[in-house]
Amino acid sequence: MAADPSPSRDTTPLASNLRRREVLALVGYALAAPQASLAQTRARPVIGYLGPESPLPFASRLKAFREGLAESGYVEGRNVEIAYRWAEGRYNRLPTLAAELASQNVDVIAAPGGAPVALAAKSATVTIPIVFEMGGDPVALGVVDSLSHSRSNLTGISSLSVEVSGKRLEFVHELLPNAAAFAVIVNPTSPTVSSQLRDLSTAANALGVRLHVLNASTEADFDTAFAALPHLEAGGIVFTSDPYFANRSQQLAALTERHSVPAITQSRDFPMAGGLMSYGGDFTQSHRRAGLYVGRILNGEKASDLPVQLVTKVELFINLKTAGSLGVTVPPALMSSADMVIE
Amino acid sequence: MEGRHLPTHSLFQKYFLVLFLAVVVPLAVNGVSEAWLGYRDQRARLGELLGVEAESAAGRIESFTAEIANQLGWLAQLPWTEEPDERRRVDALRLLRQSPAIVSLTLVDGSGRERIYVSRIGLNRTESGIDRSADPAVAGARSARIWYGEVSYFRGSEPYVTVAISGNRPSIGVMVAEVNLKLIWDVISAIKVGETGHAFVVDDADRLVAHPDISLVLRGADETTLAPFRAIRDDVRRAGKGLATTHDAKGTAIAAAAAAVASPEWTVIVTQPLSEAFAPIYQALWRTGALLLASGAFAGVLAYALARRMTEPIRRLEEGTERIGAGQFDYRIDIKTGDELQRLADSFNAMAAELAVSQERQERIAKLKRFLAPQVAELVDRKGDDGVLEGRRSEVVAVFSDLRGFTAFSVRATPEEVMNVLSAYYEALGQIITAYAATLTSFSGDGLMVLVNAPVPVEDPARVAVDMAVEMQQSVQSLILGWRDQGHRIGFGVGLALGPATVGRIGYEDRFDYTAIGSVVNLAARLCASAADREILMDAEVAKAVGETRAITPLGSLAIKGYDEELPVFGIRVDAQSGSAGWPEQPG
Repeated sequence: MAADPSPSRDTTPLASNLRRREVLALVGYALAAPQASLAQTRARPVIGYLGPESPLPFASRLKAFREGLAESGYVEGRNVEIAYRWAEGRYNRLPTLAAELASQNVDVIAAPGGAPVALAAKSATVTIPIVFEMGGDPVALGVVDSLSHSRSNLTGISSLSVEVSGKRLEFVHELLPNAAAFAVIVNPTSPTVSSQLRDLSTAANALGVRLHVLNASTEADFDTAFAALPHLEAGGIVFTSDPYFANRSQQLAALTERHSVPAITQSRDFPMAGGLMSYGGDFTQSHRRAGLYVGRILNGEKASDLPVQLVTKVELFINLKTAGSLGVTVPPALMSSADMVIE
Repeated sequence: MEGRHLPTHSLFQKYFLVLFLAVVVPLAVNGVSEAWLGYRDQRARLGELLGVEAESAAGRIESFTAEIANQLGWLAQLPWTEEPDERRRVDALRLLRQSPAIVSLTLVDGSGRERIYVSRIGLNRTESGIDRSADPAVAGARSARIWYGEVSYFRGSEPYVTVAISGNRPSIGVMVAEVNLKLIWDVISAIKVGETGHAFVVDDADRLVAHPDISLVLRGADETTLAPFRAIRDDVRRAGKGLATTHDAKGTAIAAAAAAVASPEWTVIVTQPLSEAFAPIYQALWRTGALLLASGAFAGVLAYALARRMTEPIRRLEEGTERIGAGQFDYRIDIKTGDELQRLADSFNAMAAELAVSQERQERIAKLKRFLAPQVAELVDRKGDDGVLEGRRSEVVAVFSDLRGFTAFSVRATPEEVMNVLSAYYEALGQIITAYAATLTSFSGDGLMVLVNAPVPVEDPARVAVDMAVEMQQSVQSLILGWRDQGHRIGFGVGLALGPATVGRIGYEDRFDYTAIGSVVNLAARLCASAADREILMDAEVAKAVGETRAITPLGSLAIKGYDEELPVFGIRVDAQSGSAGWPEQPG
């Protein structure tokens, strides 16, 4: 009808047809009375949220998670309930809390914040879908069989934080090219410790530096490790990727500041709180995507159909103020690599 | 009655059906053809629309890769020196930061040696000197300037592609970038076709490069995931330029169109659920349907009203004819339609009026038949006019007859015997009266009066009357023989006279008689009273009129009551059939 070559002749049957159609359209709309929206008769689904820490340090991650949920149509308190279980930093409590959620028969378990959380949830149930969020490689850690097909009740998001431990050494080395040795603080209880140490020693060999490995799995261990630093002649500290460290960024920033030592961690919270640098996956992105996956599972998709997603974005944060107070100059190559420079 | 009503109903049904179809059929034909044309137009337009969407989506995908190639081009500006190139390393790091899709960059100099390698994950390398000249990317870019590798799935999940670009002279070397295609998601998810339609990208080996649902892409080279997309692509190819309709992985019917991305050799396919794409068609169909329904209902009402209007006068006509047929001639059919039907009704009414007149006459004639000879009655009937019965002065022969000794007999005999005698008597006389075309004017008991020459004139009335009297006498005498055997003593006498009399109809509504008034009647009655058994007495007038033709014998004069002097009386001989039993007593 739009291709009518003679639009000026509005008395043609074509035009009268159009007018009739318009009239009939009005009639049609009047007939199609708005159907009463179906009330949400189904009880609200329940998400079991297994948190490794307490709610406060996890607030930004939880916020990102809720954003992801909302993106798939779920808002806490409106059409979904969330049952929280917080391990408050004591990761050995995670299996008990996961079992609690499983026995409560929640619709889906969200297990964000690292491999220990994912593994605890995995051991609690083989039927309830689990969405994890971790920095490590879920295949290497035995959480899933493959990224593209989990073939189980688990799927989730992996940021690249664990895989870039070597990069962290590279950045510190670039900042302090004259340092011959660096301290590496690892969490010996972490399942990723050996792979990270392997990557780090490879990087150290390539860069021609020595490494001093210090263990820390409790908050008391940090003090011990920092106290040992002066004897090691280490130019700076590289923290391995570990949720325990990531969630204690403020504390670590305070410690590095007090000991006047350049350090790099995985979490942007660290330079934000006064630490020097961070390099790791964007946790807001990974938590948001975890929320999105939880929503998709609530919408009826199967965990085994959802491939594990890798967060592509790895970000470098540099706090120039801290660098200034430490008396180090950030080279231009490092500056141009930085996603965020805090002045 | 029930059976006669049915055809009326079927006439109503016929009218209704014809009128209804006359309205509905053209409407339906118009509606259906319009719907079909609309469908064809909409389909063609949808095909064009989707084609444009696909082209636009392909353009956006192309600009994604072109942007990366363009950025790489900035690094390929200057030839390499033998010195480490710190500035170029910083540029590479900056590019890595600016272009999130690039995972790693390898900068190769003119001799094919790796000079700089920067990565987001792996360790950076500077001046490694590794020989990259045999790399397909390096070799490809050297021959084609911009080279795109095959799509591969990193760890079986993340889609990667290698992009390489060479400078405008060999000494500038080759820049190789690993690109994570997951980042196309931002582009592909922003492409919307209508409300719910979307686009996806497949490479020349039918691997899924980009899809708004990233999890489908991340399943890697998974046959069950890729098969539906391959099917869609095949269907689109088969449809050629037209609109391809197919099904997606969930079995939803979709419309699809494809457009090629120039480099790399990918195909963008846009799809839209048919339910949405054809929504305007469905809406138009609904409208057409509603229109047909409404006009059908209107046509029904109209046809019903018209059929009622047409059949109602016919029903009235039918009822009227039934009533008139049943003899209700005063019934009038009331139709004021001003058309043929009214004319028909009017002629029915006229017919009913004529029938009423005709029936009245029939009834009158039926009454006349009682006293007229059948021939006379028929004459009157044929003429349709009883004017012949009007009162007039006429020359008539009055014939009287009665039985002798009947009163005495009726006293003695049983009523059955009396009635048997009378029945035989009148039957015999009635036949004779009829045979002679005479008019029976009255009878009472055993006596009767017959007129000859009125109301219908006959030739030679006196002779006819005499012959009739003779035959009557003969006939009754044969009956008397039988009665005598049963012991009844009964005789029979006849008197007749000729003369002028006033004849005509007398009586009142519903009870008319034809009779004659005059002295001739009295004379005949007296003669009859004077006649003995077997005797026929007549006056001089009759005798004179008969003349010599019959054997009339004068019987002398007789004193007649009411006449001052005696009158001459004549008789005629009746052949004796049996012995006479002599005179019975006086007639009673």
